[in-house]
Amino acid sequence: MGELTLGHFLTLSALLFVIGMLGVLTRKNILIIFMSIELMLNAVNVSLIAFGRYLDSIAGQIFAIFVITIAAAEAAIGLGLILVLTRRQDSVDVTSVSLLKE
Amino acid sequence: MDWATIIFYLLAAVAVLTAAGVVFARNPVHSAFALVISFLNVAGIYVLLGAEFLAAVQVIVYTGAILVLFLFVIMLVRPEDLRELNTAPRVQTALAWLLGLALFAELGLVIATGVLTGARGPYPPEEVAAAGGNTQLIGRILYSEFLLPFEVASLVLLVAVVAAVILGLPDRFLTGERARGLSLSLGHPTGADRVLEAERRGVPAVDAPDLGEPGTIDTGRAPVGAGRGR
Repeated sequence: MGELTLGHFLTLSALLFVIGMLGVLTRKNILIIFMSIELMLNAVNVSLIAFGRYLDSIAGQIFAIFVITIAAAEAAIGLGLILVLTRRQDSVDVTSVSLLKE
Repeated sequence: MDWATIIFYLLAAVAVLTAAGVVFARNPVHSAFALVISFLNVAGIYVLLGAEFLAAVQVIVYTGAILVLFLFVIMLVRPEDLRELNTAPRVQTALAWLLGLALFAELGLVIATGVLTGARGPYPPEEVAAAGGNTQLIGRILYSEFLLPFEVASLVLLVAVVAAVILGLPDRFLTGERARGLSLSLGHPTGADRVLEAERRGVPAVDAPDLGEPGTIDTGRAPVGAGRGR
């Protein structure tokens, strides 16, 4: 307790990342999987900014900006893919997408 | 315990709880709203870390743009397609928990025992204040030192926009067929889409009465609208 240390922020980041990973691994709804990926990217941002803050560097924040950019691009394309998917098979279940396996 | 620590614990607790809500909620709409709250709390954490610009970006881009996109897609997908799918095989769920706990244990070990080494950067808080603030400093660095990555990122966004538009187009635009009318269909063959599809196949889309050849009078046929049974 007491003063805030780097460990506080890194623990928060690790918790958020693991929760996001559980979401990706246990859920079958592709929308929830996308949200979990956003959670994981956000957790990485927290640790990047915390490292930057405790190393007196601004590069961590710059990197976080790029991560947010890529997350936005990924969300736009991913949600477009979800729309196409529901158009084709009327379901957001990822386990039913097995065309390449057959 | 100072105020910053208390605020950190509050923000972190809400962020983690709502993150768990995202993963374990039954309804995707509840997940999306939990994600909004989680992102807002993480924005508060950014403020604690002295990254005010990123906190604003987090609120605007994540909760403003990406989450609205998510809610739109949830609304566009038909509700019966969103039925409960939290039924991953039991082995997979157990394995996921095992791997998650293992990963967290590893990270915790590293965080507890690791020591932060590495060259200190040139921007301690006093320097940031001298540069005019967090936002001014980020702008200065982003447009000088990181100019090329910045331009590449803009290119990535352009490609993403084009890809999203192509993915959102109805099928007939992609198969080269000339579109006769634009409809707000989401691909389910209703309304104008059904008419176009029927025209393509050469079958009438609606049941029209057979009026016979123009200019001939067929006295044996009941006039249109004369009613049946006569």
